[in-house]
Amino acid sequence: MITVFVEPDNETFTFEKHNTVLMLQKRLGLRVNDALIIRGDRLLTPDDRLEDGDEIRIRKVTSTG
Amino acid sequence: MKCRKCKAPAEVPLPSHNTAFCRDCFAAYFTGQVEKAIRRHGLIKPGERVLVALSGGKDSLSLMLELSRLGYDVTGLHVDLGIPVSSAAARNKVEAFCRLHGLKLRVIELEKEGLPIPDVKRYINRPVCSACGKIKRHWFNRIALEEDFQVLATGHNLDDEVARLFANTLRWDAGYLSDQGPCLQAENGFARKVKPLCRLTEFETGCYAFLNGIEIHTAPCPYSGGASFTGHKRLWADLEHMSPGQKIAFYDGFLKRGRPAFARQEQEKGDPLAPCEVCKSPTSTGICGVCRLKIAVTERRAADPERQAK
Repeated sequence: MITVFVEPDNETFTFEKHNTVLMLQKRLGLRVNDALIIRGDRLLTPDDRLEDGDEIRIRKVTSTG
Repeated sequence: MKCRKCKAPAEVPLPSHNTAFCRDCFAAYFTGQVEKAIRRHGLIKPGERVLVALSGGKDSLSLMLELSRLGYDVTGLHVDLGIPVSSAAARNKVEAFCRLHGLKLRVIELEKEGLPIPDVKRYINRPVCSACGKIKRHWFNRIALEEDFQVLATGHNLDDEVARLFANTLRWDAGYLSDQGPCLQAENGFARKVKPLCRLTEFETGCYAFLNGIEIHTAPCPYSGGASFTGHKRLWADLEHMSPGQKIAFYDGFLKRGRPAFARQEQEKGDPLAPCEVCKSPTSTGICGVCRLKIAVTERRAADPERQAK
C-alpha cells in the first residue's frame, strides 16, 4: 500500500501498487515538472521505484494566487 | 536518473534542459541562473540596498535566501493584508523564516493603515485582486523610496513572466510589451523593480525551497478564486511538455528581439506624474489610487449600519 498526500489540495490517496514515480504521476494527471514528489527528506525523479509502505508527499508548484 | 554533473543519484529532473541534478549540483545551477539574470540585465549593483517583497510563498522566500547568500544587502517587506486566518498564517511563515536566517524584515499592516483587504472587498465595487495588487505595489514602492532602498526585488519566476507576456501578446498591448522584463528602471517617483528569478521555473523555485528546508505558505488566498494567469500557465505547461525549452526561448527571444521593437514604437506618453497630495506617491490624478481607495473605504465603513452597531 502506498499513501499519497497532495498539497495544497490537502487530499490523501492510497494505492495498492505503483512501480515507479512516473506511473504515479500519470495516474494523478501530473507531468514531470508539475509537482515535487517527496519521500522523507528526498525529492524523487520519475524513474525512482516506489515500495510498499511508502508515504509520498506531492507538492504542486503552480501558484494559485 | 543520475546527476548530469557528478553522476550521483539525481533529485531534480529538468526536461527543459535535457538534464537532471543532485541537490548540490542543483544549488550551483540555481545560483548560476540568478547570477546570470542579475549580470545580463544589470538588476543589482554592488553596494545597493535591496528591498525584497515577501508573500510567504516559495518564490519570494527562495529569492530572499539566495540574494542574502550572494552577499546582497537585503531587507524583506511583508504586507499583512488583514484577511482572517490566511494573513496571519502567511505572516507567521515570513517572520519565522527571517528569524531563522537572521534576515531583516519590515511588516506593513493594512489593518493599521485603515485599508484591510476584507473592507476593500466589502466596500469597493471592483475585483478585489486588482485592488489588493495595487495596494501591495503602492506599499512596496513607498517603503523602498522612503527608506532609501535602491532596488525593489520580487519573486516573479519564468512561468509568471511567460504567462504575463503571453497575455500581453494576446492583446497586442504595445504599452506593456514595450517595458515588460526583468528590470524596470527607476523613474518618476518609482524605485527600480527587478525579477532575479526570471530564468527559473516554478518547479525549480519549489525544489530550491524544499531542498533548503524553507517552510512556505501554500494555502491559496481565500479571495482569489485562482490566479489570473493560471489558465495561461496550463497552456504553457502543455507546450513545454511537448517541446521542452519553449518557455525560456519565448521569453529570451522577446527580450532580445521583441521588446526593443515595441519600445521604439511606443511613443505614447501618459499623463505627467506628480506627488500624491496625501501620501506623496507618484500619481497623475492629484490623489493616488490607493489613497482614494482608503477614503472610499473609510466613508462607506462609517456609513455601514452593521459596523455602527458593533
